[in-house]
Amino acid sequence: MKHLDLPLLDLHQALLAKQVTPLALAEEAIKRAKANKDNAFEIIDEEGAKTFAASLGEPEADNPLWGIPYFSKDNFSTKGLETTASSNILAGYIPVFDATVIAKLKERKAVLLGKTTLDELAMGGTGTTGHKGKTYNPYDSKHEHMIGGSSCGSAAAVAASIVPFALGSDTGDSVRKPASYAGLVGMKPTWGRISRYGLFPFAPSLDHVGYFTRDVYGSAVLLDALAGRDLHDNTSSTKPVDKYEEDLNKPVKGLKVAVLKEIVDSITDRELRAHFDKSVEALKKQGVVVEYVSFSRQLLESCYATYIVISCAEATSNDANLDGIKFGPYRGGKTYQEVMYNARTQGFSELIKRRFVIGSYCLMRENQEELFLRAQRNRAKIVDEVNKILQTYDFIYVPAAPGPAPLFVQASDKLSDEYLIADNHLCLGNFAGLPSITLPLCYERGLPIGVNFMGRAFEEKKLFQISAAFERLSGLAEASALSAKEAKL
Amino acid sequence: MDVLKDAANRLLFDMSVEQYKTLYEEFQILTKQMETIGKIEGLESYEPMTFPFDCSTSFLREDVAEEPLTRDEALRNAGNKQDNQIKLPKVVL
Amino acid sequence: MNFEAVIGLEIHVEQKTRSKMFSSAPDGFSHEPNTEIAPLDMGYPGTLPVINKQAVINAIRVANALHMTIDHTLYFDRKNYFYSDLPKGYQITQQNRPIGKNGYVIIETEEGSKRIGIERIHMEEDTCKQLHFLDYTLLDYNRAGVPLVEIVSLPEMHSGTEAMKYAEAIRNIVVYSGTSDGKMEEGSLRCDTNVSIRPIGQKEFGTKVEIKNINSFKNIELAIDYEIQRQSKLLLSGEPVHQETRRFDETSGRTILMRAKSDAVDYKYFCEPNLTPIKLSDGFVDEAIRTCPELFEAKKERYLKGGLSSTDAEIILSDPKMSAYFEEGGSQVVSLKDLANFLIVEINGYLNRSGKAIDEIGLKPSVLAEIVLLQEKGGLSHKQCADILAKVLENPSLTPAEAKEALHIVAQVSDTGAIMGFVNQALEANPQSIVDFKAGKDRALGFLVGQVMKLSHGKVNPAEVSRLLLEELKKR
Repeated sequence: MKHLDLPLLDLHQALLAKQVTPLALAEEAIKRAKANKDNAFEIIDEEGAKTFAASLGEPEADNPLWGIPYFSKDNFSTKGLETTASSNILAGYIPVFDATVIAKLKERKAVLLGKTTLDELAMGGTGTTGHKGKTYNPYDSKHEHMIGGSSCGSAAAVAASIVPFALGSDTGDSVRKPASYAGLVGMKPTWGRISRYGLFPFAPSLDHVGYFTRDVYGSAVLLDALAGRDLHDNTSSTKPVDKYEEDLNKPVKGLKVAVLKEIVDSITDRELRAHFDKSVEALKKQGVVVEYVSFSRQLLESCYATYIVISCAEATSNDANLDGIKFGPYRGGKTYQEVMYNARTQGFSELIKRRFVIGSYCLMRENQEELFLRAQRNRAKIVDEVNKILQTYDFIYVPAAPGPAPLFVQASDKLSDEYLIADNHLCLGNFAGLPSITLPLCYERGLPIGVNFMGRAFEEKKLFQISAAFERLSGLAEASALSAKEAKL
Repeated sequence: MDVLKDAANRLLFDMSVEQYKTLYEEFQILTKQMETIGKIEGLESYEPMTFPFDCSTSFLREDVAEEPLTRDEALRNAGNKQDNQIKLPKVVL
Repeated sequence: MNFEAVIGLEIHVEQKTRSKMFSSAPDGFSHEPNTEIAPLDMGYPGTLPVINKQAVINAIRVANALHMTIDHTLYFDRKNYFYSDLPKGYQITQQNRPIGKNGYVIIETEEGSKRIGIERIHMEEDTCKQLHFLDYTLLDYNRAGVPLVEIVSLPEMHSGTEAMKYAEAIRNIVVYSGTSDGKMEEGSLRCDTNVSIRPIGQKEFGTKVEIKNINSFKNIELAIDYEIQRQSKLLLSGEPVHQETRRFDETSGRTILMRAKSDAVDYKYFCEPNLTPIKLSDGFVDEAIRTCPELFEAKKERYLKGGLSSTDAEIILSDPKMSAYFEEGGSQVVSLKDLANFLIVEINGYLNRSGKAIDEIGLKPSVLAEIVLLQEKGGLSHKQCADILAKVLENPSLTPAEAKEALHIVAQVSDTGAIMGFVNQALEANPQSIVDFKAGKDRALGFLVGQVMKLSHGKVNPAEVSRLLLEELKKR
């Protein structure tokens, strides 16, 4: 086992003891990235990464991210390094500024190795719509099962043990769903907890910076580094930043957990049900109060349409700047409209175009009341109901997905009439802006399935506390596609 | 369908015929679901929500000019330039 | 048939803050294209807006001067459309909750004071500049993101003159509050107008025509007057007025069709999700108003109290630099009116001839005040002072005292006793001249005046000498 496979805490110790250098880690990670067959990378910045890694002086004892290699989803602005959001309309775009999170990680001496694939412009959930094609799941060497999206590449990079962590973004479930399919810890904090400056916007009122790790400790220390007020982001919270790893070993006795009945009951996968029930029992044994609570089925069924309307409406406005004039390939034309038209027709994939038309239609004066505003009202109602539950309970706890990663042939990004509330509930965390984390639970036919805890706004420390306890129960810390672990639950 | 094609063109792109068909189907589904949502009790008593919780601030940025991008940085990614400016076909007013 | 014109004005004011509305890029210091840009101003993906405090303070001050109700919470919306000068593909503006509502401004017309209602004032951002050539257009993003204030009047003006005065009143407020340069010819104040006419007594409005591309205050009046005529002619000949957008052509003095007005564009306004509502405390709003620089109307009132005529006051106030100059000098002279005269006649004349602005002539207000004092207390005539002034302007290194010396200017003696002293001296010395004068030789008087001037070294007023000599000669 190489140093790169160590848990983050141990890797940090190894670096401090100079048993390994940042350069060696970077080189090993890059080697693995190049050898990887899951189509997870947009660009690997070998020279930049090695130069930076080699330049780091003495290791910093109080900085667990020092010298740690990582990848970022390709919708984060990286100065001097091509950023395309996996879309042809941004081919060749080289940003002139770093996203705040990228700058923060640089300050922490983490080593950026490159950018990972995503569903185009982060608008998708299958990991198939990026301009480089499908990203595969490292747990399935036959490449039949997806890893989900939109943060497909980042999930693959961590699941394949290429790097200990990778940045993603989560607007409806784009970190927490692939985390479930890839057996990872996928974290989305409170809205505004991490600055969105430099994150290409999909739907700002739902967008969150999120990330993947293979253990809860890594997830907590990463939030230490990324959280905080940013003067570049008016929506970033002024609330003070906690030490998020402080309560990882605190006993969880007395914490109260609500399991949403309707979601669990709708799951037909018996194996998953059994594992989930076992997890509930295990939590109870730790002194956690776990109760089944009802959540309006009608509201749960309304989630997806509400999400589509709000996110597509905001997206169509956000992406109006993509016109081939200031950046992206210039396609020419006889008038400025033609210039824009050519760039957008050729640059956007078909799925994105359909989403934009939907979004635009929902904002039109004659439709706004019945579509956009109605969806926004429904969001308010849904959030109200979620917060009511969290007045009594510390967390909402549910399976993150109705089963393991679907086959590519099964899934589609087309809007469908078929509705699985167990497949579409993670967006509750986006509607309400609440911190939400996916943790691995079990395996089915070798494919991971995860669970999800959602807590109150800005109570990430508590969320990590229960997550750490859960991790001890599941036995799946550090699980990866290369290093199988036995699921205890 | 024409409405959808018009909407697409107003967004300055076009799609293939099959895509319009797919889009049309998606529309049917979406409108139906939104109609159902419209029937949810008490919906009108909720204000349309943009922000998930009260995150109003009183922060305003001090009016201090900061170092701008260099001209080279600003124009680096533009595909069509002339005389230190971005070039377009003549814009008719 | 007699028509009544109904006119509304939409004015956009470019704020001259140090940085832009939503980004920290510098605002308007450079003439080199594309040198004042932050990533947000070009719509780079991932950039976010952050509101400029001074822009808000300025908007509050202007709203207050316009007697508007000020909203203590700032909300912003997106106005979505595609155009070559709009980098993000949307403009951040305040559609639903403008910062100010329901105000008015008072204008002076021939029929007396008139109150023009103002519907709203809101903040938004400017677009980039386009330079059009024969077959291509060049884009300069320096202006993209500059703070704008938009002021929309109610349709309560009825003539080109009223509209012009309204626009000037707005200009005076934005200039003196320190918000903007307010120069139409430079584009820092832009005016669009909607003009319609209806038969007198009719309640319904006629068809509205929009006029754009007006680049001076005078042209507001001319454009509207022409348009009223044009519409009247149409209606009188049985033709309808079409809803359209026209531009004013200065050379011909006519409005010319730009485009027929199509259905109102749907901007798909929605709440800007990157800007959480900003709560302004009462203290903040009050402080912004309290610290507003003295406005045009208040200054004018002060100048009138100081003895200036309304016209003179307005001449000085037409240039804030001159008004500042006037006030600084004014504290050092006896009468504001005296100082005003010098500014309006001599200084303005010099500025016009030299093409300079008052802060470019190298003459401190204290120095001009010194010269004015020479007239007020130093016994010099206005002309003498004007000559000294001219010399100092020519050669700013000279003090007024040195200039006076160089020009051999001497204060005139005006004391009658002193003059009589010289008169008597001259008469004693030239008895023959008295005889000659009495014999009818008029030239004797001139000779005697000359002698008095010689004795007094030219320090006496010749006309006064002549008068006193005549009186004295009569006695002898």
